[in-house]
Amino acid sequence: MLLTRLDPTTDEFDAATGWTCKPEGMCKGQMCVPVPGALDDGRLDVEAVAARLGMALEAEPSAGLWAIGPESGGRALTTAAAPELELPDVDGNPFRLSALHGRKVLLVAWASW
Amino acid sequence: MWQDLHAQLEPAGLTVVTVALDLEPDRARPWIEAAAPTHPSLIDREHRVDELFGICNVPMAVWIDESGTLVRPAESARLEPNEYAAVEISDEMPEQMRRVIEGLQQSPDFGPAYRAAIVDWVERGADSPFAMSPDEVIEASQPRPPEHSRAAACFELGIALHEAGDTDGAVRRWKQAHELYPDNWTYKRQAWTLASTPEGADSDMAQEVHDVYGTSWSEEFLAAGGGATYGIVPRL
Repeated sequence: MLLTRLDPTTDEFDAATGWTCKPEGMCKGQMCVPVPGALDDGRLDVEAVAARLGMALEAEPSAGLWAIGPESGGRALTTAAAPELELPDVDGNPFRLSALHGRKVLLVAWASW
Repeated sequence: MWQDLHAQLEPAGLTVVTVALDLEPDRARPWIEAAAPTHPSLIDREHRVDELFGICNVPMAVWIDESGTLVRPAESARLEPNEYAAVEISDEMPEQMRRVIEGLQQSPDFGPAYRAAIVDWVERGADSPFAMSPDEVIEASQPRPPEHSRAAACFELGIALHEAGDTDGAVRRWKQAHELYPDNWTYKRQAWTLASTPEGADSDMAQEVHDVYGTSWSEEFLAAGGGATYGIVPRL
């Protein structure tokens, strides 16, 4: 996730990372992690959240950006629930993975290289 | 190959979704047009599936059931027997090429078994022995230490810098990603390809060692142990 400020809205953070802000804390799948004081008026203290979730936070001052990595300290998957994923086709038309609910899906990563 | 699988199993309830990890979508375009897919064929310029699913090389796949739940984590995905098994190694071959082909010949030959497992899952769903429970899926996924999270952040910053025209900055960040997560081949191969895959080449396998990164696919493939350790072999 790229950020231009360290206090994204909870919606922005959820859309990018799959972590939802609830009264119990930051939640994904069956897991909830309390992050006291992280929420203020709809915005998250991303430094506090990242520290609790094991998400790397890298600053790139030359570009006025930060990047947050995924949660770490366990396994690559925190939950077996497939994340919401929207990607374009080669012509730029967006496609949402959730459109395939009701089908079995084999999602295959490949590359020209 | 994936289009054929989709055409065969689509009536039985499977949709294949291909995701090209190409920062430059036009490099993927000729392959897509040649395949003429009737399934979703998507472009993941930022390699988000690495963070989202634990993808770390290609080709790799995840299986997702009708409720949107993964039943297999990210694993190497093949449908055909090892294409290098029948290659005759001749004395005239350059030594590096010979070593690479020998290395590729050592890749576990799981393609036909993997294809059969997919067919079994499509037929039997949750009753298939190849479909894992949610806890099994999580447990079978790869470890994710903090270095991998930092690598993802560095790779993403590299893309932002590349897009902004700061090529040196992009290389700096991508080199960091490679050091932090050496088993992530998508971060490596994507970055190397921009520096040194010849125009029109089918893949990065014939790259020369290049000035920018000081390495190449074949160098690192051999250093990592060749085909025996390259990829995450599905435990079927």
